[in-house]
Amino acid sequence: MRFEWEVLQNENPEPMALFSVFQTTFLLALLSLRTYQSEVLSEPLPWAPESLKVFINSTHQCLHLQWSVHNLAHHQELKMVFQIEISRIKTSNVIWVENYSTTVKWNQVLHWSWESKLPLECAKHFIRMRSAEDDAKTPEQSFWSNWSSWEEVDVQNSLGHDPLFVFPKDKLVEEGSNVTICYVSRSPQSNISCYLEGVQMQGEQLEPNVTVFNLNHVAFIRETGTNIYCKGDQGDSIKGIVLFVSKVLEEPKEFSCETQDLTTLNCTWDPGSDTGLLKQLSQSYTLFESFSGKKTLCKHKSWCSWEVAPESQEMYNFTLTAENYLRKRSVHLLFNLTHRVHPMAPFSVLFTDVSTTNATMTWKVHSTGNYYTLLCQVKLYGEGEVTQHNVSVEVDGEQLFSGLEPDTEYRAQVRCANANHFWKWSEWTHQNFTTAEAAPSEAPDVWRNVKSVQGHSVVTLFWKPLSKLQANGKILFYNIVIENLDRSSSSKFLSIPAPANGTELNLDQCSYQIHVTAHNSVGTSPASVIIVSGDPGNKEVEEERVKGTEDGFSLSWKPQPGNVTGYIVEWCDRPRGPLCDLQWKSVGPTTTSTVVSSDAFRPGVQYNFRIYGISTERVPYLLEKKTGYSQELAPSDNPQVVMSNLTSRSFTLSWKDYSIESQPSFIQGYHVYLKSKAGQCHSGSEKAVLSDDAVCCKYKIDNPKQKTFVVENLQPESFYEFLVTPYSSVGEGPHGAFTKVTTPDEYSPILIRVILPMVFCILLIMIICYLKSQWMKEKCYPDIPDPYKSSVLSLIKSKENPRLTIMNIKDCVPDSIEVLNKQEGTRKSLTETESSKPTYLYLLPTEESYSGPGPCICFENFTYNQAASDSASCGHVPVAPKAPPSQLALLTSPENLLKALEENYMNSLGEIPAGETSLNYVSQLASAMTGDKFSLPTNPPEPALCSEYKMQMAIPLGLASPPSSGSSSLSSFTLLDEGEHYH
Amino acid sequence: MKVLAAGVVPLLLVLHWKHGAGSPLPITPVNATCATRHPCHSNLMHQIRNQLAQLNGSANALFILYYTAQGEPFPNNLDKLCGPNVTDFPPFHANGTEKTRLVELYRIIAYLGASLGNITRDQKVLNPNALSLHSKLNATADIMRGLLSNVLCRLCNKYHVAHVDVAYGPDTSGKDVFQKKKLGCQLLGKYKQVIAVVAQAF
Repeated sequence: MRFEWEVLQNENPEPMALFSVFQTTFLLALLSLRTYQSEVLSEPLPWAPESLKVFINSTHQCLHLQWSVHNLAHHQELKMVFQIEISRIKTSNVIWVENYSTTVKWNQVLHWSWESKLPLECAKHFIRMRSAEDDAKTPEQSFWSNWSSWEEVDVQNSLGHDPLFVFPKDKLVEEGSNVTICYVSRSPQSNISCYLEGVQMQGEQLEPNVTVFNLNHVAFIRETGTNIYCKGDQGDSIKGIVLFVSKVLEEPKEFSCETQDLTTLNCTWDPGSDTGLLKQLSQSYTLFESFSGKKTLCKHKSWCSWEVAPESQEMYNFTLTAENYLRKRSVHLLFNLTHRVHPMAPFSVLFTDVSTTNATMTWKVHSTGNYYTLLCQVKLYGEGEVTQHNVSVEVDGEQLFSGLEPDTEYRAQVRCANANHFWKWSEWTHQNFTTAEAAPSEAPDVWRNVKSVQGHSVVTLFWKPLSKLQANGKILFYNIVIENLDRSSSSKFLSIPAPANGTELNLDQCSYQIHVTAHNSVGTSPASVIIVSGDPGNKEVEEERVKGTEDGFSLSWKPQPGNVTGYIVEWCDRPRGPLCDLQWKSVGPTTTSTVVSSDAFRPGVQYNFRIYGISTERVPYLLEKKTGYSQELAPSDNPQVVMSNLTSRSFTLSWKDYSIESQPSFIQGYHVYLKSKAGQCHSGSEKAVLSDDAVCCKYKIDNPKQKTFVVENLQPESFYEFLVTPYSSVGEGPHGAFTKVTTPDEYSPILIRVILPMVFCILLIMIICYLKSQWMKEKCYPDIPDPYKSSVLSLIKSKENPRLTIMNIKDCVPDSIEVLNKQEGTRKSLTETESSKPTYLYLLPTEESYSGPGPCICFENFTYNQAASDSASCGHVPVAPKAPPSQLALLTSPENLLKALEENYMNSLGEIPAGETSLNYVSQLASAMTGDKFSLPTNPPEPALCSEYKMQMAIPLGLASPPSSGSSSLSSFTLLDEGEHYH
Repeated sequence: MKVLAAGVVPLLLVLHWKHGAGSPLPITPVNATCATRHPCHSNLMHQIRNQLAQLNGSANALFILYYTAQGEPFPNNLDKLCGPNVTDFPPFHANGTEKTRLVELYRIIAYLGASLGNITRDQKVLNPNALSLHSKLNATADIMRGLLSNVLCRLCNKYHVAHVDVAYGPDTSGKDVFQKKKLGCQLLGKYKQVIAVVAQAF
C-alpha cells in the first residue's frame, strides 16, 4: 500500500486535491472495514474445538485428549493449530502450553497426548484448548478461538480409602533418567517416611496430603526392580512400588554384512548391553533393506540372515533398528554384494607324489559364480620354518613343495579370498603330511669307557641318538662290529635294537676296532669307528681347576704336536649319582678349546672333565684333566672334629674323615675358632667377631689337607669353645654349635699317676690279706706263737747268742691241781669227757713231775683266744692252768696259795742267775691282764705277778667255747659261788 | 484373564476336571452321585494327617524363603507387609465334627491351592532366579493337590459328600508388582498360621 502511494505521488502531482479526497475516502472505507472485522472476530470462530474429552493412562502417566472441530464443510480440510494449556492443582498454575498443528478434516476426531512427569494420581490437572487457522505465512495474525472450558482430571478420587498410596506403580525408566515419585496420605497428621533400597528419601510437599520425591539419574540396580516404600509412624501399613530401571539401549556396533555363497547375506553386529527387565523384554532387532523395501525381524541379538534377491541385486542399503519399550536406535549400511564375498574354507586338501624331499598339494574351493577368481594363500609349517605361497584359483588349486626333509611331518594350510575385490580371507583348512624316509646321513657319535676287571677289559660303548635330520627316519637298530686288531681273523658282530644308546663288551687285553652303524627302514648310516687299545695307557695327568659359569665350563687344552684327528671332552652329568651319566663332546683336530654346557649342571657340584686326543689310528689317549664347579657355593657342612690330648695347656683337634672333594666349592683351608673367657689371642691367631657379636680367636689353616690342629697356650682349669669350619673362595662353613672343653689343672695328672697305682696296690694287698688271712694269721700272729718262728728267735739267732735258748715245754714240770668235776646236765667239757674222777693240776713242781733242772716258767697269752679268755677260760677252770689266782685262791686257802705262789715266785727269781734275770720275755701279742673281768675282784696284786710270768697254754677252740655265754656265765658263777668242790 | 487362565484355571481343571474350567464354583447338584475318579485308600485319615503334618512342617520355611526373596522392606516389616490379613479366608472350626472339619479343610486347601498357583506364577516372573522358592512352592502345591484328593475321597466315602462349595482368593494378575509381593506374603503368612491349627485339629 505504501508503495502504491509513492507511485501515485510521483506520477501525477497535479491532481493532488482529487487524490487527497480519494485518499480520505479510502482510509475511511478501510477504517470501516477494520471495524467490521473486529466485530466479526469478537465472535467465536466457527472451527473452535468442541467435545473435548480427557482420558487418563496412569500406567504411562499420560493424558489423552480427544476433541473435534465442527462447522467444517464436507470434504473441507483446514490446517489448524490448537493451543493446549495444562494446569496442575489449580487452573492458574499452568505447567504446560503447547501448540498442536494438524490438518483437520470434516467430522474428524482429533487426539493429542501428554505425558506427565508427575504421576497423575499425585495432583489434579486441568486442561483447556483453543484453536486457530494455521496460516503459515502470517502466523502472528492468527485469530484464536475462545478457550474451551477447563477439564479437570482428578485421579485421587478414584483411589479408594486406603490410608496411603505411593505412585507411580511399576514405572519403567532408563538408567540415568529422572523420576518423580509421590505418596498420597489420607491422614495428613501422620508422619510418613519413604525409602529407596533402605535409604530414606527427602521429598517436598506438594499438597497437604501429597509429597513428591525427585529421583535424579536413577541407576540400574537389578533386573527384578527396586522396592520403594513408604510407611507412617502411626502403625500404618506399608505401601510401596517397584521401580524398574533398564540399561540404556545402545546403538548396534560393528554392523556388517557379507556372503559366502552369494545367496545368503549374513549380517552381524555387537548389540551392547541387554536391556531386558522383568517389565521389559530384551531389545529386538529389525533389518530393513531400502532398495527392495523388505524387512525382517531378527531372531538373534547379534546376527541376522538375509536372502539375496534372485534378480541379481547388487547394491544393498540396510537399516538395522534396535528397539525396546523405551527407545529405538538405528544404523545403516550400504554396500555392493560382490564386494562382500567371504569365501568358504577350501576343502578336499590332498597330497600326492610325496617323496623324501617333494610333495604336491591339491585342494578345491566352493564355487561363487563363474566370474570370480579366488586368491589362495598356502602356508607350509615344518621343522620350525614357515613358507608361504599365493596361488590364483578358479576351481581347483595345486601347489608343489620341494626341498623338504626326509621323514618329516609338515603341516600345510590354505585359505582363499576374492581376488577381484578383497573382503576377507576364508577360514584355514589344515592338512598334515610326512615325507618318505631316507638312509641315515651321519655316523653315530660313539664314545667308550674302559675298565680293567681281572685281566679283562670291560668296554662300555655309548652312542648318541642321531638327530632327526641325521636319522632321516626311525632308527630301528645299531650294528656293532668288533674286530680284533691283534688277530685279524677274529671279529664279532652285535645288533642292538633302538632306542638303546650303549652296550657293554667284555674283551681281552687285545686291541679292538669297533664299528658302529645306525639302521632305519631304508638303509645304513656311515660307520663310526673307535679303537680300544690293549694297553690301558693310564698315564698320570695332573688335574687342573677350571671355573664354570652359568653358560658352562670353558675348557682349553694344549694342542698336540702329533697328528690328531680330534679331541673328546668327557664328563659326568651326575658325578654324585650311582650312574654318573657319562657325557662327551667331540671337537675337531684344530680346536683346542670348547665350552661344555649342560642343563644337568648344578651349583655346588664338582664336575671332572677329561680331555682325550684321538690319534690317527683312532686311539683315544688322555691329555688333560679339569675339575671345577659351575658355581661355587659356600661350604654347607663343618667337619666332625675329634678332640684328643687334652692337657691343661693344649688339646688336639682332628677331622680326618672330612672329604674336601664332596664339598660345594674348592676348600682352601680351615678356620678354627676358639672362644675363651680371657678373650686374649696368642700368636698364630687373630681376633674375630662372630655374627652373634661374640669375640673369639681365629686360627687359619691354609692347607686343606691338614686335618689336625693343636690348640696351645691355654690356661689350666679354663673353659673353652672351639669350632672348625672350612673356607673356600666364596665363604666359610656355617657357624654352628661350638664344642665346649674345659682344661684340667696342672697337678691332676701327676696326682692321678701316683694315687691310682697306690690305691691299686693297697686294694691288692687288702684283697690278698683277706684271701690269705689264715695264712697271715698263722704267719704273723698265730694263736700259739711258735717260739721257733718267733722274730725274737730270729733276733736271737741274729745275735748268735748261744746262751739264749727257747725253753722246751717238755722241760716244764707243772704242779698238779685236783679238779673236782661236777655233773652239769648235758654240758660236757673236755675234762669231763676225759675223766669223771678228780683231776690233779700241779701248780707247783712236784718231785715226780719235775723233770728238768730249770725252773718252770709258763707264759700265758690271754689274747690268743679271745673266746676262751672271755668266757670259757675261767668257766672251765677244772683243767685250765690259766685260772687266775683269785680262783685258785678259792680252791685252797688264799693265804696258802699266796704263799706258795710267792715262794714259787721268789724261788724262781732266786734260782735265776743274775745274768739271766736280765732276759725279758717279750710276748708277741702283749695284752694287759687288767682287762680280764676275773682279775680284779679278789686279789689285784696277784695278776701283777702273773703279768710277768704268764702261763702259756693252748686250749682247743672247740673245747674252750661254751654253748652260750649266758650258760657259761651261770656255770662260772656256780663254780665261783659254790666252790665247795675245790679242795 | 490371561494370568487367571495360567494360574488358577489349571488347578481348577485338575480339581474339577469333569465339570470343566468354566464351572469351578459352587456345584452341588441335587441328585449328584458321589463317585471318585480313583479308588480311595483305606487309611485316608492317616494320609490326611501325614499330609497336614508335612505342610505344617514346611510352611515356615516357605514363608521365610518368600519374604527373603522379595527384598526390603519385607524381611524387616513382616507384621505390616506379611500379616495374616486375609479377609476372605475360609473359616475353620477345630471343635466341629469330622465331617465339618473335613469340609472346611477342603475349602481351605482349595483356597490355598489357588492362591499358591497365583503366587507361583507371579514369582516366576518377579523373581526368576529364586529357584529354591519356586521349588518349595511347587512342592507345597503338589502336597495340597494330594491332600485335596484325599479329603474329597474321605468326604465321599464316609459322608457321601460329592461337592463342596469353595471360594478363591483375589486374583493378583491385575495388581502392581509391590502389591503382588505383599499379597503373596500375606497369604503365606496366613497359610503358616492356619495350617498349624488344622494339623493340630486332625
